[in-house]
Formats: sequence, structure tokens, C-alpha cells
Amino acid sequence: MSVLTFAELLYDSEIGTALRESLFAFPIVEGTHLIGLALSVGLLFFIDLRLVGILFRNVPIPQILQQLRPWLLGGFAVTMTTGALLFAAAAPKLIVLPVFLWKLAFIVLAGLNAAWFEFKWGRDVQHWSHASAVPAGVKFGAWSSLILWSLVVITGRLIPYLSYN
Amino acid sequence: MTSLELFSAIQNSGLGVFIGKQDRMLWAVAQIIHIIGIILVLAPIVLISLRLFGAGLYQQELPRLAYESSRLIWLGFALLAFSGLLIFIPAALHYHDNPVFWIKLYLIAAALFIQLTLYRVITKLEKPNPWLARLTAVFTLSLWFGVAFAGRFIGFV
Repeated sequence: MSVLTFAELLYDSEIGTALRESLFAFPIVEGTHLIGLALSVGLLFFIDLRLVGILFRNVPIPQILQQLRPWLLGGFAVTMTTGALLFAAAAPKLIVLPVFLWKLAFIVLAGLNAAWFEFKWGRDVQHWSHASAVPAGVKFGAWSSLILWSLVVITGRLIPYLSYN
Repeated sequence: MTSLELFSAIQNSGLGVFIGKQDRMLWAVAQIIHIIGIILVLAPIVLISLRLFGAGLYQQELPRLAYESSRLIWLGFALLAFSGLLIFIPAALHYHDNPVFWIKLYLIAAALFIQLTLYRVITKLEKPNPWLARLTAVFTLSLWFGVAFAGRFIGFV
């Protein structure tokens, strides 16, 4: 099955149709997508800003990493679920839209960056977090996260403006 | 002067006409600034609410966390006001007829009021009463989430 066939199947599915035709369902899902974004990307930005040394320099790194993790992962679950629903409602149009594909690519890169950070640094945070200077690799990961997620938000917001031409 | 006359004057002012004549992509850029502003306001409020509930960064001093994150909130407000006016001014009459726009305005007024009173007082305390702290978090969060929700609804009414 091609991606386009799959997108059309999603579009014609009960959930895709219900979302499109209901007056309230679509904006409610969009509103929830935005609030999920504040929890996921919003809290992640605080961690990144701590790692690069812009905010909360007196907060120990393991503390902020561990205590915000469940909330931002919950936020990502909300953002991804509502995002999948919004995609289902307009799948055939989105799957051929360059700005949507850019958004997907930035999400994949941001996810790979997060996985790399967890694997390389997250697991032995106790070893490097007491050093006076944060390792360069950690800062690189944090800056990449800040930039990639910002690009995800920007390309996401551009979708309605670049799809009706 | 009625609100309709006021909104009409805003839209037909030199500035309103000037912004209205610009390329549609200016509107998209304003929307991007608006969403960045929303994240800059909502994220710190989520973080401080977690602290007020004792659910995150609970070993940290509340006033210090609130002070450091307040800079993001005010930067967010500035971006929201600037981009919001850019979106509103050239289309004031369009928004005048939209009931959700008015709901959003009232919610912003209520949220700002709580922000400058209850939130400001409680987050300056080292150890606020736990129930008062939770109440502050619930009020602040629901009002700002309400503003964000109303904002998303405007385009669909």
C-alpha cells in the first residue's frame, strides 16, 4: 500500500470524517494539540535552557531532568495523539505538502537527537553533572533540541498558510 | 462611541489599511510570533504550577523559580501583544462579529488580573499555604489554557 493510499484510507475513515464534519471536534483537538505543545516542547525548552546555562543555573541538572521527564513525556503523548487525529482529517492534502514533510523531518531529527542524548548522556547524568562545566556534547544536544523543536513549531504553524494556494 | 464604531475606526485607520495591504505571508509570520509568545507564557506557568502542586522541582525555592521564569512570561506577553495587534488591527470588524473573540478578551483580562494579584503574591512566598498554592495553580492554568483554547476556536466560528 502506498503512502497516498494510506492517507486516503485515513481521510475516509470514520474518525477522519467525524473530525472534518463536526463543528467542535476539530477546534477542540487543535486546542488540545496546543496545550500538549506547552507541556512537551515547553518543559523540554526549560531543560535545554538549563543545560546551555541560560536559566535555572542553581537547579541541579539531574533534578530538572528527572522531575520534568514524566510531565513532558505525557505532554508528547497528548501532542502526538492529537497530531495524528488532525493528520487523519486532512491526510491526502498534507502528505503531498512540502511544509508538512519538513515538519515531519524536523520531528524525526529532534527525536533522534533526544534518543542520542538519552543514550550518550542521560543515563549517566550523575557522572558529568557535578563537573564545573557542562560537557560540550550536552550543550550541542540542548541547542539542537531548541532549534529543531522551534522549526517543528514554525513549520507546523505555516501549514494552513501554505496549503490553500 | 460604540464598540462597533471603535473597531471600524481601528480597521479603517492609516495603520489598519497599511497592514491590510501587506502580503498574506506577513499574517503567517505574525501567527508564528503569536504561537512562540503563547509557548513562552504557557510553559513557565505549567512549570510553576507543577512546583505549586509539589509535583516538580519541589526542592527548589519557589520565589527564585518564579522570578527566573517571569522574564520568559513577560517576553511572551510582549510578543503576543505585538503579533496579536498585527493580526487584529486590519481585520477588527471581522473579529467584532465573532463571539469567541470577546470570550478570549474577557479570559485575557481575568488571566492578567490573577497573574498580577494572586499569582504574584503566592509565588513570592517561600512556603505558601499548600491549598492556596494549588488554588493559584488551578486558576492560573485554567485561565491561560482557556485563552489558548479560545484563540484556536476563533478561526472556526
